[in-house]
Amino acid sequence: MFEARSIQAKIGLQLLVTLLAIPYLLPLVAMVQGSLAGKGWGNFEAVLAVPGLWQFFLSSVIISASVIAIVYVVTMLASFGFAKLHIRNKEVYFWLLLACLTLPEVVLLAPLFATAISLGVYDTYWSVILPLAALQVPFAVLLARNFIDGIPNELFEAARVDGANSFRGFIYLVIPLTRPIAAAILIFTLIGAWNNYLLPLVFLQDPAKQTITLLPSYFIGQFSNDQTKVLASAVLTAIPEVLAYLFLQRLFERGLAAGAIK
Amino acid sequence: MVATTLQTPPTRQVPSDEPALKRRPHRLSPPGLPWILPALVLSVGLIYYCIGYTGVISTWDWDGISPNPEQVGLENYLKMVNSPVFWGAIWHTIVFFVVTFTAQTVLGLLFAVLLHSQVKLAVVYKVIVFVPVVLAPAIMAPVFRQFYGADGQFNWILEHIGLGAITQPWLGQSSTALWVLMAVAVWQWTGLTFVLYFAAMGQIDQSVLEAARIDGAGNIRTIVSIIWPGVRGTTVALAMLGAIGALKTFDLPWLITVGGPNGATEFLGTIIYRQTIPNYHVGYGAAVSIVLLVLALAMAILLQVRGREKVTVD
Amino acid sequence: MYTAHRSRRKLRAAAIIAAGVTSALILSACAGGGGGGGAEGEADSGTLNWWGWTPDISVGQAYIDAFNEEYPDITINYKQVPIEDWEAALRPALASPSGPDIFAMQPGARVEAFKSFAEDLTPLAEDTLGEDWEDKVSAIGVEGLSADGKLTAMSIGATYAGSVWINQDLFDKYNLTPPTTLDEWVDVCAEFKANGVGCFVQGASQEGFDQDTLQAISDSIEPGVWTSASKGDTPWTDPTIVKTLETWKSLFENGIMQDGAIGYAQYPDANNDFMSQKYAMVQMGTWYMQYATTAGQTAAIEAAGVADPKPFPIVPIPFPDVTGSGNPAAYYGDSDYGLALNTKSKNKAAARTFISWLTATEAGQQVVADKLNDIPALLGVEPNWDSIEQPFPDVQREPVQKLIADASASSESRFLYLNQDVQDAILAACTSVADGSATPEEAAATLDAAAVASRS
Repeated sequence: MFEARSIQAKIGLQLLVTLLAIPYLLPLVAMVQGSLAGKGWGNFEAVLAVPGLWQFFLSSVIISASVIAIVYVVTMLASFGFAKLHIRNKEVYFWLLLACLTLPEVVLLAPLFATAISLGVYDTYWSVILPLAALQVPFAVLLARNFIDGIPNELFEAARVDGANSFRGFIYLVIPLTRPIAAAILIFTLIGAWNNYLLPLVFLQDPAKQTITLLPSYFIGQFSNDQTKVLASAVLTAIPEVLAYLFLQRLFERGLAAGAIK
Repeated sequence: MVATTLQTPPTRQVPSDEPALKRRPHRLSPPGLPWILPALVLSVGLIYYCIGYTGVISTWDWDGISPNPEQVGLENYLKMVNSPVFWGAIWHTIVFFVVTFTAQTVLGLLFAVLLHSQVKLAVVYKVIVFVPVVLAPAIMAPVFRQFYGADGQFNWILEHIGLGAITQPWLGQSSTALWVLMAVAVWQWTGLTFVLYFAAMGQIDQSVLEAARIDGAGNIRTIVSIIWPGVRGTTVALAMLGAIGALKTFDLPWLITVGGPNGATEFLGTIIYRQTIPNYHVGYGAAVSIVLLVLALAMAILLQVRGREKVTVD
Repeated sequence: MYTAHRSRRKLRAAAIIAAGVTSALILSACAGGGGGGGAEGEADSGTLNWWGWTPDISVGQAYIDAFNEEYPDITINYKQVPIEDWEAALRPALASPSGPDIFAMQPGARVEAFKSFAEDLTPLAEDTLGEDWEDKVSAIGVEGLSADGKLTAMSIGATYAGSVWINQDLFDKYNLTPPTTLDEWVDVCAEFKANGVGCFVQGASQEGFDQDTLQAISDSIEPGVWTSASKGDTPWTDPTIVKTLETWKSLFENGIMQDGAIGYAQYPDANNDFMSQKYAMVQMGTWYMQYATTAGQTAAIEAAGVADPKPFPIVPIPFPDVTGSGNPAAYYGDSDYGLALNTKSKNKAAARTFISWLTATEAGQQVVADKLNDIPALLGVEPNWDSIEQPFPDVQREPVQKLIADASASSESRFLYLNQDVQDAILAACTSVADGSATPEEAAATLDAAAVASRS
C-alpha cells in the first residue's frame, strides 16, 4: 500500500513497523521472564509436577475439541442456510442469533445451573461444552455466512442441474470450499473454549475433569501467591493455542480475507 | 444484521429488478429453515431462556440460595439508577470504548497498510501482533499487574528512555488505572483489528490504487481517500463488536484491578459479578445484566443504522 | 383470570415462562433445603472430597498424610479453590447432589450463606471431647461458626492480626529501632528512604488488610469502638472512627505508606516486596509465622522472584501507637476456618472421623500447630519448637512465642460481624480517603449509610 521507492524509505518503513511492534512484544517477554524468575526452569518443573496435570490437559482437549466440532457443524449448516437457501424472515432469525453476542457469560450462571441440575448434566463435560458452543456459534455464523455469500450462486445452480440436492451441494461444494473460514472458526472457537475459566470452575467439580485454566490456582493460596509458577503455568497453557495459530495462520488469513467481516 | 449491510447482497444492487429477484430465490433455493434450526435451538434457545430467567430474577430480592425470594418489582432497578457506582461504570465504559476503539483502529490500520507494503519479515510482525488475541486475559493479568507495577518493567523502560520523571505507580492511582486497562485492551485486540483490515485491504481494487498513484496521490492521500473508505464496512463491524465488548468488559478490570482503586475501573461486568457471586445480591446483579443487554442491543442497532446511512450517502 | 386467554399462543408462552420459573424455584428450594440425601458409610474407610480456599495444597496434603498414618483406609482428596472464586464454585457444588463431603467454613457471612448445607457438629464435638467440650477449645472458634443453635463447623484454629513484621537485618544495617509511635515511625521511614530502601508496604487495595490497619488504629484510640460499630451498635460516624480515618490518611501523607499503595495487593505485591527485601516492614498477622521458618521463608523468597534465596530474620512487633493514646496494641482474630460436613455426604461416618481427628485430637492439632499457619483450636496444644527449623531462632523464637501468647489471649473478632457489603464499603472509605476524593467525615458517612442499608 505504502510506496517506498528509495532505499531510505524502505528502511524507514521497516523501522516504523518494528517500533510499532515492540510494545506488543514486551509483555510477552515480561511473561517469559517472570516465569523464569526465582527458581528458573524449576518453576516449569514444579508446574509439570502438579498431580493430575495431564488429566487437566486431557479435559481441556476433550472440551475444546467437542466445542469446535459442535460449533463447526452447527455453524456450517446455519451459514449455508442463511447464505444460499430460502428462509422466510431470514434476517429476523439472523438478528436473533447475533443478539446473543451481547450476552456476558456471568449472566448464564444461575439459569444454566438450574438447567444443568434438572437435566442431570451437572459435573459432566456437557454442562461446559453446550454453553460454550452456544456462546461461540453467533460469531462463527457471522464469519461463515459472509464467506459462503461470496461463493458464486452459479456453482450451486450447476450442481442442482446435475441433480444434486441441497445436502449433496453442501457436502461436495460448501465443505471443501469453506476450509479457510473453517480455520478461522477453529482458531476463534479454540481461543474461547481453551481459555474459559468460569464455566469449568462452576460446573465441573470432579477433580478428574478439571481444566488446564485452573492450573494457576495451585500456586495461589490465602496467604501465598507464587507468581513465578503462576506465570510458568500461563506460558504452558498458552503454548497449544499459539501453536494452533501458527500452523493455521495461512489458512486463517485466507478465510478472513475472502469474506469474513467487511 | 452485520452481514446484510456490510456486504450488500447482490439483489439490492439492481433495484429495478426487485420484484423479479425477490421471487427468484423462491424458485431456485430450497427451504432453509431446517438448516439453521440447530444453531437457533442451541444458541437462541439456550441464551434467550437465560435472558428470560434473568429478567424474572431481576424483580426479586434473592441471595441465590433461599427458597423464598421476595418479589420487589422494580426496586433493584431503582437502586441501580441511584447508585453512583453504576453511573461510574457507565462513564468508564464510554471512555473505554472511545479510547480503545480509536487506538485499535489507528494502530490496526497502520499495521495493515505497512504489512501490505514491501516490508521484510512481514510474517513475524503479524504473529507478534496477533498472538495477544490468542492469550486469555486470565493468563496475562498477572503479567500486566507486574508490568505496570510501581517497580515494574514499564517504569523501568521509561527511566531508560529518559522519561524517568513521569514514572508513577500506574495501577495504584484512580487517575491512571483506567488508562492501564485501556492500554492492555488495545494490546490484546489490535491483532484482530489488524487481521480484519489486512484482509479487507486485500480486496481493494489494485487498479484504483495504481490510478491514484499515477494522478500523483501520496501515501497519506491514498490512505485517506481510497483505503479508509474501502474498509468502512470492516470499521462499522469492528465498532459494533467493540461497543459490545466494552459493555461486557469484565476479565481485565476484575483480574488486574478488581474494579479499583477507589472504584476507578468499575464496569457493568464487575458490578454484575461482584453483586451476584460474592455479595449474594443475585436479583440486583440480574437487573444490571438486563440493562447491559438492552444497552448492548441499542448500541448494535445504532451503529448498524449509522453505518448504513453512510453507505447510502456515498 | 381465565378471561385473559385471548390467544392460545400467549397462553402457551405464559405457561412456558411459569414452568421455567416454577422449576427454578423448586430447584432453588432443593438447593436450600439441606435435609436431602446423605448416608453414613463406614467410619474407617471410604473416599472423601474436601474443599477449602485454605490451607495451601502442600499443607492440606501434610494433614492428610498424618491422618492416613492412623486411618490408612480413608482416602481424602483435597481441592483448593482460590478465595475469590470460593462462592462461585461452592454454591452450586453444595446445591448439587455431588458436592464435597467436607468443606471449609469461614466465620461470619459465609456461615449465614452455607449453614443450611452443614450438619450440626455438636454431637461430634461431644463424642470427641466430652460434655464439657466447649471448655477445651478456643472460644473464638465456637461463636463464629455457630448459627441457629448449631455448630456448623469445627474450627481448626485461629489467625489474628494487629502485628507488624519487620526485616531485622535492614533495621540493624541502618541502626534503627522498631517504631512505637507515629513520630518514630515517620523518622524510621525517612531514614530508610534516604538509603533507598522502602519502609512500610501494604496491599491497600484489599479490604481485609486495610481493615486490620484501621482496627489497630481505632483500638489504639478507644478500644472496643470498632467492634461495636461492626456489630451495628455504634454508627460508623462515631468520632473515633473519623479519627481513625484521619490517622489512616496521615499514614499516606507522612510517607509511611508506599506510593501507589491503593493499587497494591497484599499477596503477591506487598508480600513479594517484603520478601525480596525492598521494604523493611509489612502489616501481617499470626499466619506470617509460617514464614519465620527456614523452609517457609526460602520458598516465599523464591516465589518473589529472587534467584538465590537466603532467609533473613523476620520478627513480629506490635502495631505502633500512632495516636499517642498509650493504649496497648490490640490483636483481633477469628477462626481461620472450620471443617463442615455436607448434609448430602455419602460417607458421613468417615468424614466425621477426619473432622474430629484434625480439629479435636491432640495428634491432629499438633500437626496443625507445627505448620505455624493457625493457632490450634484445642487448648493446650503448642508448636513443637524442637521440630521446627527457624533460620534465626535466637532473634525469632521468643517474639513469635510472645505473639502467640498475646494474640490467643484476645477475644476481639476480625471479620465475624461484617458482611461483604460492609467490607466493600470499608474498602471504599479507605481508598477514597487515601486518594483525597473524600474527607474522613464524608467517607465515614458513606460507610455508615452502606452499613445501614445492608442491615435493612
